[in-house]
Amino acid sequence: MNRARTPANGKIGRASAPYLLILPSILFAFWIIGYPIYDMANMSVHAVNRFGKTAAFNDFANYQRLFSHQLFIGCLIRTLVWTVFVVGGTVLLSVPIALILNEKFFGRTLARIIIMLPWAVSLTMTGIVWRWSLNGQFGMVNATLREFGLQDTPIEWLATSTTAFPILIAIGILVSIPFTVTVILGGLSSLQADVFEAARIDGATAWQRFRYLTLPLIRPFLNIVLVLNFIYVFNSFPLIWVMTQGDPANSTDILVTWLYKLAFRYGELGIASALSIVMFVILLALTITYAALAMRNERSTA
Amino acid sequence: MEHPVRKSLLMWLLLSPLVILILFPFAVMVSTAVKPRVEVLMYPPSWFPSEIRLQNFVDMWHATRLGPAVMNSLVVSIAATALCLLVAIPAAYAAARMEFTGRKLFRQFLLVTQMLSPIVLVLGIFRLMAKMGFVDQLPALVLAYVAFNLAFSVWMLQAYFQTIPKELEEAATLDGASTMQRMRLIFLPLAAPAIGITAVFIFIYCWNEFVLAMTLLRSPEKSTLTLQTFSLVGGRYQVEWDHVMAATLVASVPVAAIFALLQRSLVSGLTVGAVK
Repeated sequence: MNRARTPANGKIGRASAPYLLILPSILFAFWIIGYPIYDMANMSVHAVNRFGKTAAFNDFANYQRLFSHQLFIGCLIRTLVWTVFVVGGTVLLSVPIALILNEKFFGRTLARIIIMLPWAVSLTMTGIVWRWSLNGQFGMVNATLREFGLQDTPIEWLATSTTAFPILIAIGILVSIPFTVTVILGGLSSLQADVFEAARIDGATAWQRFRYLTLPLIRPFLNIVLVLNFIYVFNSFPLIWVMTQGDPANSTDILVTWLYKLAFRYGELGIASALSIVMFVILLALTITYAALAMRNERSTA
Repeated sequence: MEHPVRKSLLMWLLLSPLVILILFPFAVMVSTAVKPRVEVLMYPPSWFPSEIRLQNFVDMWHATRLGPAVMNSLVVSIAATALCLLVAIPAAYAAARMEFTGRKLFRQFLLVTQMLSPIVLVLGIFRLMAKMGFVDQLPALVLAYVAFNLAFSVWMLQAYFQTIPKELEEAATLDGASTMQRMRLIFLPLAAPAIGITAVFIFIYCWNEFVLAMTLLRSPEKSTLTLQTFSLVGGRYQVEWDHVMAATLVASVPVAAIFALLQRSLVSGLTVGAVK
């Protein structure tokens, strides 16, 4: 029989079975994720009052008000700065850390556990603890700096606009390292030792082996980590919300924190829905990039 | 050849700035959580309190109503994990084992939904839940958490399922096992580790989630653990930092311990999922 030779034979081979199996997950996604997107897209092109009642189509006035809002450009630029610095810093630091953790040394398992630790703790808790640590008067950051003679007068880290954002970026990097190191480590462990041995025998220096062997070989993993981190960090909300709520004077507001204020504090539902859709489109573009990279990766490893 | 002890010292030395930065908040949590209250707001602050006051944890537990919040978090996280697996396992099985038209499309659909984060959709989700009368109800959180974990779960599980040899199931079919028997006796036992690891990831996501909880819940007695802890800090003039640090310790240590214990399998699981 011909049917017996198809890959999925037997009862489950019936044509409708796979669709029945994936149907619940699709329905769920359309219900909880698809409908809100449709609802916001709809709201974003209509006049809408602060209780969310939509009226007439208003000629993209919500988008015009969004783009001409005095805070929009600032938040957009800060989002870019935030994303580029956190992702760039994370990847630049994670590659050497992964290289170290890939070596054999005493206590490597412990080192790996410690470096993965921030991953398990919620960003909300991390934010709360750092906010307390950075307190100008009673925080342990100032106390520790003073003890080592690195500071004369205490700094109000999070209440000063010149220090608040760089501090947030540094903590953003710190919490993004575990995931990034994990994926890069996965890439490093897939490398074959004999290639490196051969290069060493041929007289390649450590730097040359890294530059011309390791780096190209872990390239697919770096691509994945770059795009995924870009998406995570672009969307990162709890750290900033817990530590500064965008203050002082909006100097740490990025698009997501501003979006939350527009929607749930100022009742600007029209602008908020327009902003959501703009961000959705940006994310979609990034996702398509990621999908293309992932598919290429799948082909090259298959 | 390098000397192993010298090399180990060098490695730890290189890692030390990061290790210090990672352990710093934990040290702050412990130090503040056991301080007598007068010493918390003493200038200059010190790492070492005059006495280790474990009573702080008991006081905090009553004063901050953390108990009900822990219960809410447990209920929501367990319910969401179970429901998510229930929906994800069949889908992952189909994606991993069956040939059907649209399979590639389904995988792309998963990738796209995986990228969406709650914050971008939170306004729409709030409106949806309001329409269904679910605002300030824990089931609203369960539904939302399932939706945002589905793609990841299906993706992880199908990557694993592909590594389970098909031949065992085929042999069972030849021996006359029904679909149900084949699932229950052969496939699910083999897939159990993968399902367990996926469950841990979903659980940690739900346990740590903040934006949706803050938006969908209103009354304090419905608060989850992250939300309740945040409410001790957000919008208050007088923050009782000894209680807050005790609460963050209680909230993060169990998850961190699970993570540390399972670190190896979690990491290898994730790399299977990320690369496939």
